[in-house]
Amino acid sequence: MRLTVNGRSHEVSQEDSSTLLDLLRDGLSLTGTKLVCDRGECGACTVLLDGESVYSCLTLAAACDGSSVTTVEGLAAPGANGALAPLQRAFITHDAAQCGFCTPGQLVAAHALLARTPHPSDAEIREGMSGNLCRCGTYPKIFSAIRAVAAGEFASSGSDAA
Amino acid sequence: MPRKPRAPGATRARETKGGFIQTTVEVEGRTETRIVELPAFDPAPWGDDAALGIVGARVPRVDAAEKMTGRARYTADIARPGMLHAVVLRSTIARGTIRSFDAARALAMPGVFAVLGPGDAPKKMRLFAREISCFAQPVAAVCAVSTEVACRAANAITVEYDAAPFVLTVPQATAPNAPKVRSAGNTPATSPTLMARGDVDAGLAAADVVLRREYRTPVALHTALEPHGAAAEWDGDRLTIWESTQGIFRVREMMAKALEIPHSRVRVIKEYMGGGFGAKNGAGAHTFVAALFARQLGRAVRCLNDREAEQTDSGNRPATTQRVTLGAKKDGTLTAIHLSADVPLGVSGWEGGPGQFYHDMYACPNVRTEETFAYVNTSGMQAFRGPGYVEGAFGLESAMNALAKELNLDPIALRRKNFAARDPRKDRPYTSNKLLECYSEGATAFGWTPANRQPMADSRQPMADNRQSTAANRLRRGRGMAAQVWPTGGGPPAYALVRLNPDASVEVLSGTQDLGTGARTVLAQIAAEALGAKLDDVRAIIGDTQTLPYTGNSWGSMTTPSVGPAVRMAAEDAQRQLFEAAATMLHTTPDTLEARDSRIVVRDTDRSMTFAEVTKELGDVMIIGKGSRGPNPQDTAIMTFGAQFAEVEVDIATGIVRVLRIVAVHDGGRIINPLLAESQLEGGIIQGLGYALFEERVLDGRLGRPMNANMHDYKIPTMADIPEIHAFFVAGSDYAANHTGARGIAEPPIIPTAPAIAAAVADAIGAELHEIPLTPWRVLEALEAHR
Repeated sequence: MRLTVNGRSHEVSQEDSSTLLDLLRDGLSLTGTKLVCDRGECGACTVLLDGESVYSCLTLAAACDGSSVTTVEGLAAPGANGALAPLQRAFITHDAAQCGFCTPGQLVAAHALLARTPHPSDAEIREGMSGNLCRCGTYPKIFSAIRAVAAGEFASSGSDAA
Repeated sequence: MPRKPRAPGATRARETKGGFIQTTVEVEGRTETRIVELPAFDPAPWGDDAALGIVGARVPRVDAAEKMTGRARYTADIARPGMLHAVVLRSTIARGTIRSFDAARALAMPGVFAVLGPGDAPKKMRLFAREISCFAQPVAAVCAVSTEVACRAANAITVEYDAAPFVLTVPQATAPNAPKVRSAGNTPATSPTLMARGDVDAGLAAADVVLRREYRTPVALHTALEPHGAAAEWDGDRLTIWESTQGIFRVREMMAKALEIPHSRVRVIKEYMGGGFGAKNGAGAHTFVAALFARQLGRAVRCLNDREAEQTDSGNRPATTQRVTLGAKKDGTLTAIHLSADVPLGVSGWEGGPGQFYHDMYACPNVRTEETFAYVNTSGMQAFRGPGYVEGAFGLESAMNALAKELNLDPIALRRKNFAARDPRKDRPYTSNKLLECYSEGATAFGWTPANRQPMADSRQPMADNRQSTAANRLRRGRGMAAQVWPTGGGPPAYALVRLNPDASVEVLSGTQDLGTGARTVLAQIAAEALGAKLDDVRAIIGDTQTLPYTGNSWGSMTTPSVGPAVRMAAEDAQRQLFEAAATMLHTTPDTLEARDSRIVVRDTDRSMTFAEVTKELGDVMIIGKGSRGPNPQDTAIMTFGAQFAEVEVDIATGIVRVLRIVAVHDGGRIINPLLAESQLEGGIIQGLGYALFEERVLDGRLGRPMNANMHDYKIPTMADIPEIHAFFVAGSDYAANHTGARGIAEPPIIPTAPAIAAAVADAIGAELHEIPLTPWRVLEALEAHR
């Protein structure tokens, strides 16, 4: 099967039972996306599949033939030190990560939220992000980071590759 | 030896005689005696008015970009050439014996490399026993080409059990002829644990009011997002372990002992970890399994808990039953505090009970606590953020709020009346105690006024500004507060090196851990401040036992107060050497020099050199500063204090509690990074909110098996549950505690959260709550009982 991940095309063979998460982490060594609950409860494995946020632990790899996937590694501009996306810069400024294990999923979910709803209300942010668990309790910081991006505070530089 | 010039307000550094002394260090309320070295010099304390620029600044995490891009490498991301994958098979009964074990089918499966079962692990690991004493106890492990193959093979192992009766509660465990959980007995040697001061009976006799309550707290699960896990690889007789751990040196110690090999042959590495909260303080079954398979097969092996194992057998906060009696005068003066508590530990654990909080919080002269700890046939407890104190605070602070109501006193007035100006447990002074300021600043920020504690019309809107209740008449608002105390001195031993590269970049080397707490950032800030370097030039390298000097576990809110002073000393030692080199180049003496922004200037002149100019001149002559953590002041208590306030809304038809806002004020001495510290306060409050409202491991009493071992049924807070949180610190430096003036702040915010929320709910519905979590059912029951 063929799929595009972060703008790069891949020809991959996967077992029928493989999830998109397995494919990304084990097949393509894109370990930014995390495995936490393995059953769609926590959101840590959130990626964009053809622009829509999905739980990659619940998505069969075989169902992604011909699709385009964006992971946390694809949010910044390409390269080892590529310019960060507005959400990434806002998360840094607002200290929206403690241990950082949920952060890739939070960033992708926030990206999908803002793509759907560029100017979300506070309630829309809370609802849109409530499928992504964080045990360190960074929610207030994630909330303020997303609100700042929605308000255009981080639009000045950097690129939003996805 | 010339010393660096001091910041205004600081006294001069003390030269010490060096050598070793015996001293004590307190960890989470336990006192340990150690022989430690006296540092060669003791930097002058950073006092209240020390002129600091980088310490105290709200700078972002130094490792934030790694976390934002997926580059941060966690243990679960470790991949070694040829690496194999191991999974652990766990028991399906709570107690009994393995009658038969057959792994032939598993071993015959393609891709399966090896199986370890009963009797196959070294004795010291106490792994894969035939006797089962809790559900999910490791029974065997499979190593295969992938986790999926290993799981399939584990399912193909046939284990037959002879199930036996088991115990789940303290009364069951301590009953005559109770089934034995451990061969040595069902209670630890020290149980019941008695602690007392004064005469409680006399205190109760002298009381105007005696209040008796019983409180219950649940088993709570750490639920770190990254599971426990390790990767192991042998190179000849040398073992390297990548582990998600709060203590790399403790993992090294445990693995060296278990494998009976020298410490020097075990290297433990931890780069990033996805949370610990107390459950990751040493090696576990996953570590042993990875190391054993890796040795047997000559390949790297990774073993990670799956989520069910993580929620079943990787530690928990034990449940408590607390029977509290308070005696008080009409004016609120406490005359007696008595606690009788039961704590079921699981099959293993330590006596981290609720009792100490009762001794530490108030100045009452008569306090007695009796705690019965028992081993039961459930997975063993582990320290969980503020162990014991979180449970104890729910009991004592709830009782104090009930007492305030009974005496018709404001809860803050009652607490002020019983303020402990000295450590009441050990009758000794504090290095610093600003609890009274926490009360007053918190009350102001919250809008808490004794005269008007009813919901106020102008109360600030919560983050949930759009709550669209169609049944506003069912909603009741209430307010409550609670206080906390927690030992946070840190202490020796801890070591650090600070070295300058030829390009003047600075490396801090210290074998500590960053759990997500911000240790990398805080240590880099301290080094930059003490050295006079730009923060951007400083990088903290941590988490490797082979290349870095020792520090202890990151537990007990200890990392900043333990490691911070060692880093500061190392940076000052490096600066001394740098000044000596620069003095030669600038034709002056070192005592005329000062440094800021990676530039050395000759005081009162326009002559200066950048660090880079000096190090370029030095070439490969390297400046390496060494620092160590000196002893704590003896016979002095080092504690972090705080007060938290909650406002809630309760739907009296459904029993659903919504927390609207929390105000938290803590006294943690000097705050190295207010941005990161604020995040920790918010995080502790949010975990406390989960503990208050949602979190409870549910057991099937007939099977001894957890019923909600996943993240859907064991509910932790989501963004939709988060109130408006205003969390901050009172100003000041605890320079008597250590020369950075910083105490720990990681655990304190979880401690008073649940009792403050419970008090607010009680205020809202006019009925007391005695058991958490405050599920809708329990709230409705309280309402019903009150009717």
